[in-house]
Amino acid sequence: MTPIAGTKPESKGPRRRATRAAWLLLTPLLVWLLLFVVIPSVALAFYSVATYAGLGEVTWTPSFEAYQKAWDSVPRVALWRSVYLALGTTVLCVIIGYPVAYFIGRAPERWRNLMLMLVMIPFWTSFIIRIYAWIIILRNEGLLNGMLQSMNLISDPLSLFPSQTAVFIGMVYSFLPFMILPIYGSVEKLDNALIEAAFDLGAGPVRAFQRIIVPLTQPGIVAGILLVFIPAVGTYAVSDVLSGRRVELIGNLIETQFRGKGGNWPYGAAMGISLLVMFVIAFWLSSIFAKSQQEQ
Amino acid sequence: MRIFRMTLCIAMAMLLAVGCKKETDTPATPAGTGAAATPKIGGELKILVWSEYIPNSVIEGFEKESGVKVRKKEYGSNEEMLNLLKGESYDIVQPSEYAIEYMIAKDMLQPIDPAKIPLMSNVLPNFLSMSFDPGNKYSVPYMAGTVGIIYNSEKIKEPITGFKDVFQAKYKGRLIVLNDSRELVSWALSTLGKDMNDTTPANLAAVKPLLEAWIPLVAFFDSDSPKDKLLAGDADIGIVWGGEGALILAEEGEAEGKWKWTLPSEGAHLFIDSFAVPKASKNAAAAHAFINYILRPEVNVKIHDDFPYLNPNGEGRKLLTPEQIGNVASFPPDDALKAMKVFRNIPDEQTAAMEELISEIKK
Repeated sequence: MTPIAGTKPESKGPRRRATRAAWLLLTPLLVWLLLFVVIPSVALAFYSVATYAGLGEVTWTPSFEAYQKAWDSVPRVALWRSVYLALGTTVLCVIIGYPVAYFIGRAPERWRNLMLMLVMIPFWTSFIIRIYAWIIILRNEGLLNGMLQSMNLISDPLSLFPSQTAVFIGMVYSFLPFMILPIYGSVEKLDNALIEAAFDLGAGPVRAFQRIIVPLTQPGIVAGILLVFIPAVGTYAVSDVLSGRRVELIGNLIETQFRGKGGNWPYGAAMGISLLVMFVIAFWLSSIFAKSQQEQ
Repeated sequence: MRIFRMTLCIAMAMLLAVGCKKETDTPATPAGTGAAATPKIGGELKILVWSEYIPNSVIEGFEKESGVKVRKKEYGSNEEMLNLLKGESYDIVQPSEYAIEYMIAKDMLQPIDPAKIPLMSNVLPNFLSMSFDPGNKYSVPYMAGTVGIIYNSEKIKEPITGFKDVFQAKYKGRLIVLNDSRELVSWALSTLGKDMNDTTPANLAAVKPLLEAWIPLVAFFDSDSPKDKLLAGDADIGIVWGGEGALILAEEGEAEGKWKWTLPSEGAHLFIDSFAVPKASKNAAAAHAFINYILRPEVNVKIHDDFPYLNPNGEGRKLLTPEQIGNVASFPPDDALKAMKVFRNIPDEQTAAMEELISEIKK
C-alpha cells in the first residue's frame, strides 16, 4: 500500500507528504488522464470556439457561432430526449436492480459469486453485438412478436423496432449491471443486527426497509445512479442501432459532426463542451447537496 | 471478495470501452515476391477510401505485385474524408463528384499523369470529362452508380414507379432510405419538377412541406448497408444505392420476381466516385501504379463481384457474367443514363441550410 492510501481519513494529524514512490505509482494514471482526458478536452474547447468554413473545413477565427448552434432547437430537443431517456433508464434500473442486488447480497455466501457471475456473463460478448441481438428479439418477425402471436395475445405484430421504445429497452438492458453491482456492494455490508433491532423495536417490514435498509445502502444507490445516468446521457451506440437513425440523441448528433455527414467539428465540439459543463455543474450541485445532508 | 468485485468492475469498464465502433486501420500484409507486371516500386501507400468499397483481395494483389505496403483508412462521408486529410497526408483519396470540384477549387489535388495510367483507355467515354473535372486532369473514375427504388412485391402489391408511390401513408414504418440530406432534398426537388442542384433558399422552402410529409413515414435512415434490413424483412421499400439494389436482386434471384427495382420516374442522378492524388502525397508514383492496377479488367471484375455498381470499365464489363450485365440495378438503360445529372458542388451556406432543414424535420 502506498503512504497515501495508508493515511487514515479520520486522523486529524498533519497529512503526510506523498513520497516519490507514491508519485511513481500514480504516474500511469496521471499520464492516462493527461493523454485521454485533459488533452482531448482542451482540443475540444479550442475547436468549439473556432469557425466552421464548410465541407469539413475549420478556420481558427474565434467565434461563438458553434455555441449558438449548439443551443439551437435541434440539439436542445436531442439533449432533452437524452436526459429524459437516461432518467427513465436510471429509474427503471433502480427498480429492477435493487431487488436483484438485495437478493444476491443476502444470499448464502457460496451462491453469491455464482449469481454475480450470471450478472457478468453478458459482458463476455461485445456490447455492440448484444445490442444487435435486440433487433432479433424486437423486430416485426422477431422472437418477441412470434411468441406473443403464437400465444394468441396479439394478432398484428407490435412495431417495436426501430423505435424510441427499442432504444429505451436497449439502454436499460445495457446499464442494469452498473446499478446492480454497487448496490450489491452496499447490501453485502448491511448489518443484520440493525434490521433485527428495527423489528424488535416494532417496525414493520416497510418501515424497516425505509428507515434502515435504504439509508444504509444509499451509497450504493448513489454510485449506481451516477454510473448509469452519466453514461446514459451520452449514449449513441444503442440509439444508432435500435432507432433506425430516426430518434437522434445528443450523442448521435455529436458523432455525426465528427464521423458522419455533418463534418462540422466546432459544432460537435460545442455540443460536447456544453454537455461537459452541464455534468460538472450537476456534479457540483449534488456534492453541495450531499454535504448539507451530512451536516443535518 | 472485495478484490473479486473490483476485478469485475474493472473488467466491465474495459468491456464497455471496447464496445465502441470499429476503427478500420487495416495493417497491410507483408509484401510478397510474386512475378511483377507492375515494376517494383516499394515504399508505403496510404489510401483514404470509402468504407466497404474496395475488396481486400484487390489491395493484397497490388501489394504482392508492386512491393508497396498499402495502409487503408476508411471514411463514411466526403466531409469526414476532408477532415482526415487535414490531420495526415494520404497518397490516394476517393472523393465523390462535388467533393472533387471542391478540392480542385481549393488546390488540394495534384494533376494525374496520363502517361503513368495507360489503362485509362479502359474507362468508357460517358464516364470521362464530367462537369466536375473536365478532361479528367485530377481524377480517374472508380465506380459509378445511381439511386433507385427497390421493393418487396410480395408485401407491396401496387406497382411503384417513383417517389410519390413510395412516400404514402400506408407504407409508414416500412421504408428505408439513405441517411443523406442532399439525397432527400434532391428527391423532393425532382418531385416538384425542379433542378436537383438548385438548392436555393426559395427552393428549400418549397420542398419543406413535402419533406415534412415524407420523413415521418421512414423507419430507417441508412446509407451503409440498407440491403440487410430489406432482406431481413424489417423494411419493404428502399431508396438505396444501385449497388445495394443489385446485391439484393442477385441474392434473391431476380427471376423469382420478389424484389423489383425501378428508377424514380421523377428523375435519378448519377454519382461517380473517382480516385485522386492529394498535393501532399509522398508516394505519387505508387499512387499512379495503384490506380492503373485498379483499371485492369481482371481486377475490375473482382471489385464488381463484391460491389456491383455501374461499372465504368469497358474492358472489365466484357468479363462479367450475363447475369451481372443484366442486373438492372447495376446497369440502368442507356436512355435513362443519358438523362441523369450529377450533384454539383453547392455553396457552403446552402449545404448547411439543407442539413438544418432535414435535422429540424427529423427532430
